[in-house]
Amino acid sequence: MGLKVYADRMSQPSRAIIIFCKMNRIDFEEVRIDISKGQHRTPEFEKINPMKQVPAIVDGKFKLFESHAILRYLACFFPSVSDHWYPNDLTSRAKIDSILDWHHANLRRGAMTYVFNSALAPALGFPLNAQAAEEGKKLLSSSISKIKSFWLKGNSRFLLGNAQPSIADLSLVCELMQLEVVDSEERQRILEPHQEIRDWMENVKRATNPHFLEVHGILYKVKARLESRRNRVSPKL
Amino acid sequence: MGLKVYADRTSQPSRTIIIFCKMNQIDFEEVKIDLSKGQHRTPEFEKINPMKKVPAIVDGRFKLFESHAILRYLACSFPSVSDHWYPNDLTSRAKIDSILDWHHANLRQGAGTYVFHGAMAPAFGLPLNAQVAEQGKKLMLSSLSKIELFWLRGDSRFLLGNSQPSIADLSLVCELMELEVVDSEERERILEPHQKIRDWMENVKRATHPHFLEVHGILYELKARLESRRNKVSTNL
Repeated sequence: MGLKVYADRMSQPSRAIIIFCKMNRIDFEEVRIDISKGQHRTPEFEKINPMKQVPAIVDGKFKLFESHAILRYLACFFPSVSDHWYPNDLTSRAKIDSILDWHHANLRRGAMTYVFNSALAPALGFPLNAQAAEEGKKLLSSSISKIKSFWLKGNSRFLLGNAQPSIADLSLVCELMQLEVVDSEERQRILEPHQEIRDWMENVKRATNPHFLEVHGILYKVKARLESRRNRVSPKL
Repeated sequence: MGLKVYADRTSQPSRTIIIFCKMNQIDFEEVKIDLSKGQHRTPEFEKINPMKKVPAIVDGRFKLFESHAILRYLACSFPSVSDHWYPNDLTSRAKIDSILDWHHANLRQGAGTYVFHGAMAPAFGLPLNAQVAEQGKKLMLSSLSKIELFWLRGDSRFLLGNSQPSIADLSLVCELMELEVVDSEERERILEPHQKIRDWMENVKRATHPHFLEVHGILYELKARLESRRNKVSTNL
């Protein structure tokens, strides 16, 4: 009974776990929990994760939720995981922990609030909310500036000037990928001023291909559906 | 040049670090950064933490911010730290990581928002905001219920049924202590239905005595000041 990963590939932290496992040749079974169909609220899934969120893992009798806790656990538990993902060196590790912790109330909160309230809400049965989207966008933009100023200084390929990606790079870039589903011009306006961010995203993609592209496939499908819906609405205005 | 901890004791995560160091006989110099005087926005402090927040530490040439990253680093770096704070055992550690990660967008966001917008803002020259405080309160209450249901099941003295506190217990209880500064009746109404929460807070206080009481001293002073201000306002109405 190996590792099971309960995930919805529309969820940014779910994608980070799946890509990480594939990159590090960790055998696992992906169990799809479709959020748009409410599968995270079934009694069966509640036994897996009482918080009713994805991702979650089950490793034998051990259950775990929260993607950063999962990434740390997998990095430490599986010998096939290269050191650069979550270094043994205490100070290097602490710097990565610092980014992972900062992420929750900053990039994640900003990006998620913005993307949900400007694009994804209807797919989950909620209305759009322009005011909430605007607040999210402000936090998103300031978070992007901070990443650029502090962690991608100089010619950094990855966060902290590292030569190879860590779990922090993977987690944050998967979050930014969610921007694919918003209006393309809007997305460009947000990312255009930030060459270092765009380069960093490319670096992470390249370092984790082909898995990165494959796992993000669903996002591009959803993007196409939402764009076609937006185009249908606009001609009427 | 030993460990320096940059802190403001009115900040919940600052108190966590200070109590942790004292409990584990970690030598450190506490450098007060008075948030109400804007000392976190000076160029000098920006060199310590570019995010301009407390707590932050400097250990030799190594700088670190984000309280959970700091707690993990200290627990792993200092041999005097007992294992129960952040166990070596991977699955025990992962469960604690899970709570620390969950905390950001749940208890911290709820309690932090509620306390700041419902009571503390005037101490920083900002107005109260009842609507935002109410949203924070909702999230805080649902977070308290989740802690009780999942992590304090049965006769748990500490989170996860542990018999001794971990850094997760300390971090979350310091957060809840911030409720001391809101109106006393309001605070009682919030905590009254949650016997397990109140018992758990007492357990943590007792396990970290006398440092817990000493470090929280400033909160009681702030509470008295805010209460006297609230009484003056009610008399004027």
